[in-house]
Amino acid sequence: MRGLHVYVLLIVAALALAGAGRLNAYWMHVAIIAMYYGILAASWSLLAGYVGLFSLSHTAFASIGGYTSALLVKWLGIPVLLGMGAGVVMCCALGGAIGWVCLRMSGPYLAIFTLGFSEIVRIVISSEDDVTAGMAGLHTAPLFQSATRLPYFYAAFALLAVSLLLMGLLVRSRGGLFLRAIREDEQAAGASGVAVARFRILAFAIASGFAGLAGGFYAHYIGIMTPSVGDLDEMAKLVVMTVIGGMERLPTAVGGAFVVEFLLEWLRDYGQWRLPIFGIVLLLTMRFARNGLVTPFWLRLVRLGEARVSPRSAARELPQKDPGA
Amino acid sequence: MRITGRWRVTAKLVVLIGGIVIASSQFVGAPARAADPIKVGWVGPLSPPGGYAEGALMKQAAQLAADEINAKGGVLGRQIQVVFADTRGKPEEGTAAAERLISQEKVVAITGEFHSSVFLAEMDVAHKAGIPIIAVDVWALSITAKGYPEVFRVAPNQALIATKYGDWIAAAGFKNVAVLFEKTDGGQSARDVLLPVLDKHGVKYEVVGADPNSTEFTAQIERFKTRQPPFDFFMTAYSEAGAYPMISQSHTLGFAPSARTGIANSGGPAVDPTFWKNVGEAGKYLVTEIVGLPKNAWNDKTKAFVAAYKKKYNQSPSPQAIENYDAMLVLADAIGRAKSTDGKALVAALEKTDIVLGRGRYTFSTSRQPDWAYHQFMNAPVALVQYSKVGQEAEDAPIVWPRDIANAKYTYLKPGQ
Amino acid sequence: MSWDYLFVQAANGAVIGVIYALIAVGVTLIFSILKIVNFAHGDLYMLGGYCAYYVIEYLGFPPLAAMVVAMGALFLGAIVLERLMLTPLYSDATERKDEYGLIVTFGLAYFLRNSAVIAFGPFPLKPPSFIPGVQRLGNLIVTNDRLVAAGVGIALIVALLYFMQRTIWGQALDAVSQSRDSAAIVGINARRFNSFAFGLGAALAAAAGALVAPIFSLAPDMGVLPNIHAYVIVILGGMGSVSGSIIAGILLGESENLFTAFFPDPTRAFAYTNAFGVLVLMVFLIFRPQGLFGRRHLRME
Repeated sequence: MRGLHVYVLLIVAALALAGAGRLNAYWMHVAIIAMYYGILAASWSLLAGYVGLFSLSHTAFASIGGYTSALLVKWLGIPVLLGMGAGVVMCCALGGAIGWVCLRMSGPYLAIFTLGFSEIVRIVISSEDDVTAGMAGLHTAPLFQSATRLPYFYAAFALLAVSLLLMGLLVRSRGGLFLRAIREDEQAAGASGVAVARFRILAFAIASGFAGLAGGFYAHYIGIMTPSVGDLDEMAKLVVMTVIGGMERLPTAVGGAFVVEFLLEWLRDYGQWRLPIFGIVLLLTMRFARNGLVTPFWLRLVRLGEARVSPRSAARELPQKDPGA
Repeated sequence: MRITGRWRVTAKLVVLIGGIVIASSQFVGAPARAADPIKVGWVGPLSPPGGYAEGALMKQAAQLAADEINAKGGVLGRQIQVVFADTRGKPEEGTAAAERLISQEKVVAITGEFHSSVFLAEMDVAHKAGIPIIAVDVWALSITAKGYPEVFRVAPNQALIATKYGDWIAAAGFKNVAVLFEKTDGGQSARDVLLPVLDKHGVKYEVVGADPNSTEFTAQIERFKTRQPPFDFFMTAYSEAGAYPMISQSHTLGFAPSARTGIANSGGPAVDPTFWKNVGEAGKYLVTEIVGLPKNAWNDKTKAFVAAYKKKYNQSPSPQAIENYDAMLVLADAIGRAKSTDGKALVAALEKTDIVLGRGRYTFSTSRQPDWAYHQFMNAPVALVQYSKVGQEAEDAPIVWPRDIANAKYTYLKPGQ
Repeated sequence: MSWDYLFVQAANGAVIGVIYALIAVGVTLIFSILKIVNFAHGDLYMLGGYCAYYVIEYLGFPPLAAMVVAMGALFLGAIVLERLMLTPLYSDATERKDEYGLIVTFGLAYFLRNSAVIAFGPFPLKPPSFIPGVQRLGNLIVTNDRLVAAGVGIALIVALLYFMQRTIWGQALDAVSQSRDSAAIVGINARRFNSFAFGLGAALAAAAGALVAPIFSLAPDMGVLPNIHAYVIVILGGMGSVSGSIIAGILLGESENLFTAFFPDPTRAFAYTNAFGVLVLMVFLIFRPQGLFGRRHLRME
C-alpha cells in the first residue's frame, strides 16, 4: 500500500494527541521543548541540508522572533498571536536580507558570517537592557492562561505539523528540486537555469521565518526571555541534533531533535557528561553514518508499504515451462 | 508465502508500539512510598554558559549538609537524598529541571540557584505545584517581590547589598566612581540598585557594561585613567572568571587599588578559593562583601561548618556554600516541625522558621512592605570587608561596613597607609 | 584626547594583536592546507594552556619548557584526531567536503568545551608568570608577561614563515596548499602533510594558550572569544596568508582598543568592542572576502 507510512504517522500522531493528557508535567514540558527544537531543526535542515547553506545564525533568528513578539505585546498590548506573527514577518525580512548579503558566500565563509551576525544580535540584545531587560530576563505574556501545559502541547504540535506541511510542500515542488540542485553544485545549477540567487534568498527568508515562529512560541511559553536563547551554545546544540538525525530530510531532522532532546533529559542522571557524549555521537555519526542515525529508520518506514518481492516468490510467478513440450 | 515480509513488518511494528506504550508508562510516574528517602532538589549552574564555579561550591555544601543530617539519623526517620540538576544559567533549563525534580523525582522541596533569571523560571513551576523553593544565591528583587508563598530566600538581595555599597562609598568619602558591571542578571540588578543610591548621596559616576566573557580590560581601564577629575573609586559588579584578570590589570596599570583610587568587587569571585592564586598582590586593599557572619561573630555552628567543609573539600567555604548549607538545614528543620513532607505544610512550617545556624538567626519576614521583604531572610548578614594582607581569608579581613559591626577603626584603608 | 593616550592605547593594541595573531595563524594554516575552517581552534588553545599549567604544576618544568611540551602534546594529539576523523576529506567518496570539515570541527569543539569543565574543574587557574614585573615607557605600562607572549609569538610566526619559505618540508606544505594533485604528482605525500599541517596548527594554538595563561588565567570556556577573534583575523588577513594574519591580528588589536578608547558613549564602548570587530569581519566578507592579502577561496573539489 503506497503511502502506508503516512497512515502510520497519522496514527502515532493521534495517539500522541490523545495520550498527551496522561503525561506528567515534566515529560510534557520536554515534549513541548522537543517540538520547539523540531521546528528549528526542520527549518535549519531546509537551509543547510537542502540548499547547502551552513548558517550559524538560526537560533539568533529564533531569539529575534521571540523578542520581537514579546516586546510588541508588551508595548502595544496586541494579542500574543499577532505578536508572534509580527516576529515571523520580522525574521522573514531579516533572513531574506542576510540571504541577499551572503549571496556570494559559500561554505566556511557563510558559516563565519552568520556566526558573526549571531554574535552581534546577542551583544545588542544583552547590552540594550533598558529595552530588552538583557540577561535579567524579559517577562513575557503567556500564550494561554492555563493551569497545565496541555494547551501549549497542542499548540506546539499544531505549529510543528503546519511547519512541516508547508516546508514539505516546498521541498516536494519543483522549487525543492532547485534547492537541492544548488547544494550539489551551484554553478551547474545556475548554468541549467535555476535562479540561484532568488532561491538562496527565499530559502533564508523562509527558514528564518520558521525559526522566528518557533522563537515566538517559545517566548510566550517559557515566560522569560533571555539572550541565551540565541547564543552559539544553542546553535551548537541545534547542529548536533539535526546532523545526528539526518540533515538532508525534514522528518529525520525533526527525528534527531526529538531523540537528542529526550535523551538529554533521560540522561540527566549522568550529569554533565551527557553533553560531551553527544559531541562524540555527532563525530561518530559524521564519520560513519553521514546521512544521520534516524535516516535508516525513516527510510525503512517509508518503504513499509512497498510490495516486497522475494526471488522465490517471483520465480513461482513465472509461467512454468511444460517439461514435455 | 508472499506475505512473509508483511508479517515480519507487522510484528516489528507491534513490538515497537508496544515498547513505546510500556516505556511511556514510566513517564506518568509512580507514587512514592513512606520508607523511601526524602528527596530534595538542587538547582544551579554546573556547566557553561552558567556560573559553574559558584554552582560547584553550592553543590558541595548541599551535599555536605545532607551527609551530616543523614549521619544524625535523617529527618522523620528517613534519609535525605539530594537530587542535583544542572541548569547551566538558562531559564529553559531551569523550567525543565524544576519540572523533572517535582514530577519525576517527586522532591519535597528545591533549593539552590545562582542566576536570578533561571530562578524566576523555576519558581513559577514550584509555585504551580505548591512545592517550597528556597533561593540560595540569587539577588534579584522580583524573586520575593512577586509574593509567591512557596518562595523563600536565605541570601540577601540587591536592595540589601548594593545599597550597602552605595552608603559605604559615600561614607568613605568617595566622590567620583567608575562603575563596571557585568551584563548578567546579577550585574544588571547591582547597577540598578546602586546608581540611585549614589545619586542620593550626590556621588558622581560613570557606568560601563562588560560582556561576561571578557578577560581583556586594558583599553577600558586606560580610558578610565584619563578621566578628569580622576576617579577615586572603581566599583565592579563582576562574577565571572574575567574578574581576576580585571583586578590584576587594574592594579598593574596603576589604576586601582592605588593611593588615588580604591576598588571593590561584588558578586563572589573575591571570596572564591582561587582568588589569591589568580590575582596575587592586586587583591590587597580590595573591598568585597561577605554574606556570612564576620569571624568575631561566629557561633559554634559556623565554626563546625567551616571545619567540616575545609576537611572534606580542602578549601574554605565561599558565601554561596554557606548559604546553601544553611538552606538545607532550614529545610530539614521545617520538615521536622511540620512532621510531614506535604507542600502546604512545609510552606507553613518554613514561614515559622526560627533557628540559629551558621549565619545567625534565621527568620523569614511575612511583611510585604517593601514588596521584596516577603519571605526574605531580612537579617541576612551582609558586611563589607577590605583585604589588608595578601592571601587573607575573607572571614579574617577587617570589616569596614556597616559601622555597628565593623571591627576596623577606619572606613577605608588607603593603599600605602 | 592626548597623543599620550593614543600612544598608550595603540601600543597595548599592538601587543594584544600579536597574541591574537598567533592564535589565528593556526587557523589560516589549517585552512590553506586542509581547506577546512577549524571550529575547534579555540578549544585547542584552551587545551594547550591547561596542558602547560599541569606540566608546570606537577612536573615542575619552567614555563617556556612547559609551553614546548604543550605544543608537542597538542601536535601529536591533533595528528591522531586528524587520522581518526578527517580522512574522509581525502576520499572522493565524500561529498561536500566543506560541510564535512565544518561539522566535524564543530562537533569536536562541542565535545572539548563541555568535557573541559568536567575534566579541569570550574575554577580559574593561573600558572606562574614567565617574568614577573612590568615595563614602563612614560605612561605606558605593559606587563613582562605580555611582552614575552608577544615576543615569543612573533618569533614563532617568523619561524613558521621561514619554515614555509626556506625549507624543503615547508615548501612541500606550500605546494600541497596550492594543489593537492599537483603536489602528489611531484611525489609529495599529501596525506602525511595534511596530518602534519593540522598538528602544526594545533601546536601554534597550544603555544598561544600557554603564553596567555599567566596573563588571563585559564578557564574551560576561555577559547570562546579567541575563536571569534581568530576568524575575524583570518578573514581580514586573507585565508591562507600567514603574513596577512600577523598584520590583521595587529589591526584587530588596535581597532578594538581604539574603539574602546574613543567611542563616544562610555557606557557602551566596552560592551560593543567585540561587536565592532565582528562587524568589520562581516563587512569584509561582503565586499572583500579574500581579505587584505589572501588568495581567492580554493574549494576542495
